[in-house]
Parts: sequence; structure tokens; C-alpha cells
Amino acid sequence: MTGTIELGREVVNKLRASYDNVAVLIKTRDRVMVKLWNTEPSVTQSWITTEVSLLLTKSKRVLILEFSVGRPEEILKAVEKISSVVERVEESELYAPLPEPQEVKLVEGSFDAKVIDAMRDPGKLTKLMIDAALSEGAERVAGTLTLSNDERVLVTSKGFENSERRTLVEAYLRAFKKEFSGQWAHGSTHVNEKEIEEVGRKAGLYASITSNKADLQPGKYDVVLSPLVVGNLMNYVSFMSSALAVLMGYSMFMKFRPGDKIASEKLTLVDTPRDPTLPNVASFDDEGVPTYDKPIIEDGVFHNLLHNSGTATKLGVKSTGNAGWVMPNPWNLRMKPGELREEELVSELRNGVIITNNWYTRLQNYVEGTFSTVARDAALLVKNGEVVGNVGRVRIATSFPQLLNNIEEMTRQTYDIMWWEVRTPTRAPYVLARNVNLTKPYI
Amino acid sequence: MGFDEDLLRELIDAGIAVGASYVEVRYQNDHGISVSMRNGRVMGVGSVREEGVGVRVLINGSLGFAATNDLSRDGLMNALEKAVSRARATASLRRNAITFAEERVGRASYEVVPKSRLEDIHVEDLTSLGKEAYGELLKTVSQVKLPVCVFSAETHMQEKLIMTSEGAYVRSRIPRIYVSLNLVLLHQQRGTLQRMKEFASSGGGELLKEWKPVDVVSEEVKNLEVVLLKGVEPPKDPVDVVVGSEIIGLLVHESAGHPMEADRILGREAAQAGESYVKPEMIGKYRIGNELATVIEDPTIPGSNGFYLYDDEGVPARPRYLYKEGIINEALHNRHTASIFGVKSNAAARAMNYASEPIIRMSNTYLKPGNMSFEELIDDVGLGVFIKSYMEWNIDDIRWNQRYVGLEAYLIRNGELAEPVRNPVLEITTQGFYSNIVAVDKELKFYPGTCGKGEPSQGVPVWFGGPDVRISKIRLGVIA
Repeated sequence: MTGTIELGREVVNKLRASYDNVAVLIKTRDRVMVKLWNTEPSVTQSWITTEVSLLLTKSKRVLILEFSVGRPEEILKAVEKISSVVERVEESELYAPLPEPQEVKLVEGSFDAKVIDAMRDPGKLTKLMIDAALSEGAERVAGTLTLSNDERVLVTSKGFENSERRTLVEAYLRAFKKEFSGQWAHGSTHVNEKEIEEVGRKAGLYASITSNKADLQPGKYDVVLSPLVVGNLMNYVSFMSSALAVLMGYSMFMKFRPGDKIASEKLTLVDTPRDPTLPNVASFDDEGVPTYDKPIIEDGVFHNLLHNSGTATKLGVKSTGNAGWVMPNPWNLRMKPGELREEELVSELRNGVIITNNWYTRLQNYVEGTFSTVARDAALLVKNGEVVGNVGRVRIATSFPQLLNNIEEMTRQTYDIMWWEVRTPTRAPYVLARNVNLTKPYI
Repeated sequence: MGFDEDLLRELIDAGIAVGASYVEVRYQNDHGISVSMRNGRVMGVGSVREEGVGVRVLINGSLGFAATNDLSRDGLMNALEKAVSRARATASLRRNAITFAEERVGRASYEVVPKSRLEDIHVEDLTSLGKEAYGELLKTVSQVKLPVCVFSAETHMQEKLIMTSEGAYVRSRIPRIYVSLNLVLLHQQRGTLQRMKEFASSGGGELLKEWKPVDVVSEEVKNLEVVLLKGVEPPKDPVDVVVGSEIIGLLVHESAGHPMEADRILGREAAQAGESYVKPEMIGKYRIGNELATVIEDPTIPGSNGFYLYDDEGVPARPRYLYKEGIINEALHNRHTASIFGVKSNAAARAMNYASEPIIRMSNTYLKPGNMSFEELIDDVGLGVFIKSYMEWNIDDIRWNQRYVGLEAYLIRNGELAEPVRNPVLEITTQGFYSNIVAVDKELKFYPGTCGKGEPSQGVPVWFGGPDVRISKIRLGVIA
């Protein structure tokens, strides 16, 4: 670890005379991923990498360099090559000096030595997940198990120096039974065999929950969205809450101001960098600003955009500890749970559709928040509180403001979701929303 | 491209020595510069260099891949050791041995030589283009505002050296340029309209002139302003719909290219980008559309965004006919899927960067054009809709049920384009589309994209294209 900080220090020391601000961010990674198809590994992938990023500013001009090389001499050579550029570019409208170092209280408990042990034999945990799905009646499974040992180091010319380590467990599985399928996912900094088994169990359960196909005509329906769906949609909401997304026209928050009611009072969405169990745990952001938990939406009211120093300066506020040198980003997301058990939520739904997974969310217009997303795996028609069949790959076609306002209830249990379609780890409940537009093709 | 080939050979020998039946090493160096601007002002200037080695081994029927950017001898040997030991560690879960089809692999070196080298493109060339674009667009709009104009541009040089234990040796160097604009048009009463426009090809600085990006986008914005101000809802009853080449390109990528990826057909992407409505027994037999439905996949198109002459397993590239006159014809293969299907690889293996395993990818996908003009295509349409461009789209995970929401669109009345239409929704199945093609015009146009697939997700540069296409009696939706 010390070696990595020294690399950062050496680069900063060599460059500080030539630039007003220098920051070096170094990420090292030892990662393994077992990828499954047809109930067996298709490939076992490993990465042993060091990524170095440099932020250089001079006379309000901003240069960002990214290298996947770990040798300081290579980095300095590359910087020399591009150094003349800084004289020729214009001032950045998002320039802000790097912040003065503040005291950072490191989040404890984000490193699990059991992950390192598991990396030697990733097949064991993978088998837990597979067996759990098969025991629920699944005929075949696909998915991945990823284990990682990561270090993140930041050194700045303002005197900030710090590093932190975390481990990662990301598990998701899709189970198939005849023409039906189910999927579940989990992300954490810690190995928890029960949670990994639960991934297989829930995937298998949803694949087996019905053997009936049901018809559904396009129209407005009440829906229950699973934590996978909610996680995917909240990833979009949180992306749009980045101040740069607002400045770049990629956000419905262009139309709102903090204090505006934009969602049902049941919805509270929090950016939570300091939970040691969620994978993107961070004690400091990429500018060295201490992180803290903050609501993006609280009780339906829009509270915060996410900022780095540049966007905060531009908009006259303080950084929220979400740098990203150019783009402020959420770290992890947490939703405030509701009060119902899952079966109570389905009773509340009474008649409608339970959508357990989705993919391919795309927006027609970020400013209006209009989008559609496609259901996959179990999409269950519920009549009188009972599942009567699977309606297949229907589409939710609505807008974020409409959907967020139509949220009525949530479960008290939440799940820590991370998978291919949920890249910002999200702790989410099941959500009941009323009057949601569902579509499918006529021919 | 300076990398020690002897070190790569040593790595291959070391892999074979520990029991691998196949070793593939790929040195890859992706580098370039980028600028991002908002409303004519610079936000940031960037430079990226991703340089490393990916090594793939087949050992006792298990496939292992490891990537590192520690390019020392020890670093590379460590990566090889991880690829081997971790593949062995999961071998107990394996049910079927992975095998590769026998191939005649290439020994070749090739390069795209642009008229104007990437190295001669300076940051200020890109920023001046961004300023010009914003200035022109401000002059173009009259009754609407342009609150956001984000301009991004980047150069990308991709250098690869692929060597395998079976004798492949392929060295390549491909420069590319990418430019995009994200625009928001605003009218107090009529709301907003958003457009993302991209330009990308293999080549050099000459592309910035050839594309005429400022003229192209200004013309579009002029039209989009009218759509925002005067757009009406599409007809509620089924009408003939003329789908513009921009949407056709995306549509064939999504509903012909992806479902014809053999790894997807076999379930290798099942938990990520999904599977396919196509089953192995349908290939060569199943009718998905009428005789106008011919979709071609061709990595060898000069100047294309998805250009390559050898894939990342060293297999020589060639055009592939995915759908031929309505029949599902040929899947995209790498050596692994070719082995399962009992065919030869058709060179579809691509890796985004050194840290990515080569997997089956598209390159340049297009619908075969016809002979008639656009005017002839719409000549006998009494009432219809022409959808020229889109923003929102998606498709289900077996590539059957898809949706495209139009942006620039017009009614067709008595064979002529008439008033603008706002947000028409084309929601259709794959068979529904390819079976209802009435006519295609002769204007083959390509559009760039970055196709995402794999885990971790890999974005690779592609083109997709086609002519304008008329389909019969379609019920359009509208955004609710």
C-alpha cells in the first residue's frame, strides 16, 4: 500500500512546479470473475491492474489523463508529451482549485479477508449459488460471481494523502425452467454464504413460480417492482442527480429546484458512501473531500444535486463529496424501506403485475424523464392477490416524474442489489406503484 | 507499437509447458485525446492510454483469461499463472469440455492509413469545431431556445498484436475519430426536445471535414424546431410507415445482428444481454421475413467504424449474410461456438481493450438496399408516417419485441411529406417487421454506435445502416 502512495507522491512532486493543482488517483485491483452458462463455467477471468489518473490544472485550464500503466517514468513521459496542450486550451467553465485537505475519518469494516481466501477457489461460492437454484426446480442457470481486492489512493498537491481498501462480492444468477426464468442479485464488501445462496434460491423460485402464460393488453396497471427493477431505475434517477448531468442536459432535475416535491412522500433515496457493507464504500472523494450520506430525494422532496468542487463552484454551493473530477457520481444508494411484508404488498396490489427484473432502460428525453424499459424473467399477472401466470416481456413506458409520484407502498425488507444492469449498488425494497403504462407490440 | 514479441512468445511457451492446449496473448494499446464542451465553452480536456496484455488459455477443457498492465516479465507470468490456476479452480463445475474449431489463422500486419494522421489533430482543432457548432446552432434556432449544446470529440488509436500457440500473428493499427452533440431545444409552451447526434469512422483528421458535422446538425435542428413547435400526434389507425435509414440501421443491429450471435444463441450471455429467439436448428431454414429481408454483417468495409481484417483469434474476416432473402442464414461465430455448431469461425471475436476477453461481436451491419428512390418509395402512400430519427429505443432479451420512438418525423399525404409528427412510437416484433417490408430505397447510409455486451461490459465501435424502408399497415403508438 505504501508503495502506491509513494508512486502518487513522486508524480505529484515532479509535476507540482509546472501546474497550479495536481491530483493523482491510483486504483489497483486483483479481481476474479467466474462466468456461468448452462450451469457450468464459460470462462474464469482475472485482472491484475493498476490504473493511474491525473488531474492537472494551470491558469484555470483543466487536463485529465488516464493511464493503465503503473510505472512513474511512463506516466511522467506521457505528461510531458501532452503538457504543451495545457497552454493552448481555454479556461474550463468547471474549473475550481482543489480543496484544502480536511480531516477524513476512514470507514472501517470494508475489507473482508474471507474474500481473499475465496479468490483462491471461487468455484466453492459459485457452487452454493448454483445448487440453491437447482434445488428450487431450475433446469439450468447462468450468471457470474465476482470477487475483488481493491485499493484506492489519492495524493494531491494541496497535501492530501490517503488510501483505502475494500473487498467486493458481486453475485447474480439467472435460472431457467422451460420457457420461464428468474433472476436475483447481490453486492457486498463481505462474503456471506447465506446471501449468495439466496441469490440462487430467489432466481430458482421466480423461474418456477408459475408454469402458465398469461395475456396482457397494453394499458395502465398497478405494478410491484422488485428490488432489481427499483435498483435499475434508481440508478437512472441518481445519475440525473449529478450536477453535471443537469448542466449537460441529461437530467429531469433541470426542471426542478431543491425543495420541490417530485415524488410520492414514500420515496426517500439516499447517496450512502459510508456504509462499509455496500461495494462502493468511500471515505473521501476523488478530490479528497470527506464523504457523507445525503438524501437526493427525501419524503418525496428533491433535496440535493451531487457535486464536485467544479460543479459546486459553478452553481454557487458546496461540494457534496461526490467527485469524480469531471462528473460527480453517487457512491451507493439506499432507499428508505416501507412497512409491509412482501406478501402484504402483493395483497395491496390485488390486481396487477409483479415485474421481477428489467433491462434496456432508455430515455426519449432526459429533461422530461420520459423512458421505457423492458421486463425480463418473471413478469407475473396477479388477480385477487394470487399469481395466475407470466405475461412475458412487456414494457414499462412512462416518465420518471409520473412513476415516482405513483409509488404507494414498499416492503420493510430491502436487498443489496448489484448486477449488470445495476452498477451503482442499491439497497432497495419491493415497491408498489399505481397506474403504470405497460405496452407490447401489436404485430 | 513497441512491445517485446519475445516476451509474448515466452508467455505462450510457458502456458503450453504448464499444460494448456491453447494459449493466446494479445498486447493492446488504446490511446487518444478528448475534449468536452458545453455551450461553446471547454469543460475539460483528456488523454487516455490503456496499455496491457490479455492472455487466454484453454486447459483441460476450461477457459481462463487474465489481463495485466504490469508489462514486466514477472507481471506477465503472474497473469498467466492466475489464468491457469483460476481456470483449474473452477474445473470441478465443468460439465462439457470447451473446444475450439480448427482454423487457418493469419500471419499478417495491416494498418489503416488516414489522409491526415491522428497525431496531427490538436486539441484546439476539436475545440474550434465545438465553438463553431454552438455558434451556428444559436443562429439556426429562431422561436425556440437552445439551453444545452454539449459537444464531445475524441481520437482513438487502437494497436493490437495477437499471437497464439497455433501460429497466429496479427499486428494491426486502426485510428478512429468520434464526435457527438447532445442538444436540448426548449419552448415555454411546447416543452423540450432532445437530440443526440454521433459521427464516427476509422480514419484520421480528414473525417472532421468530410462529415460536415456543423452543416448536418444545423439542418437537423432547423427541422427539429418545426417538430417541437408544430408536431402533431401520429394517426391512431394502422398506416404505412416509412422507417428512415437511421432507425433501420439500429433495428438490424438489434434484431438481426444480436440474435445471430452464436454465443447468445447458446446461452453464454444469458444472465447479461440475454439469449436469442433463434435456436440452432432454425439456421438455414426458418423464415423470419420476406425476400426483401437481407441483412449483411461485414467487418471489411473500408473506412467503417467496425473495421478489421483479422479478428482477435487471428481468423481472417469476411462478409456474413445473417438473414438472406428472409431466411435465417449464418450466425456470427468465434472458434468456440464454431466448434459446437460444427462449422468454421467467421471471425467475429473482438475485445474492447487489453483487459477484455475476445467475444462474439458485430462490426458493420446493414440491410441490403434496393433500386428505387425515396420519392418512389412514398409515391403511392395515401396517409402514412415517415420516421427519420429516434432517441429512445430498446428490445427484449431474446431480440423479438422492440421499440423505437421517433424524433424527426412527418406525415405522408398523397405521396408527399407533410406536417411534422411528434414522438411516434414504433413497437413491433422482429418477424412483424421483416415480414411487412413493402419496399426499400437505394440510399444505403451508415450510422455509428458503441455496442455493449459481455461481463464486464465491453463497448466496441460499430456501424449500422440501411436504406429507407416502407412497412405496411402499422399501428403507431404515442408517448403516454
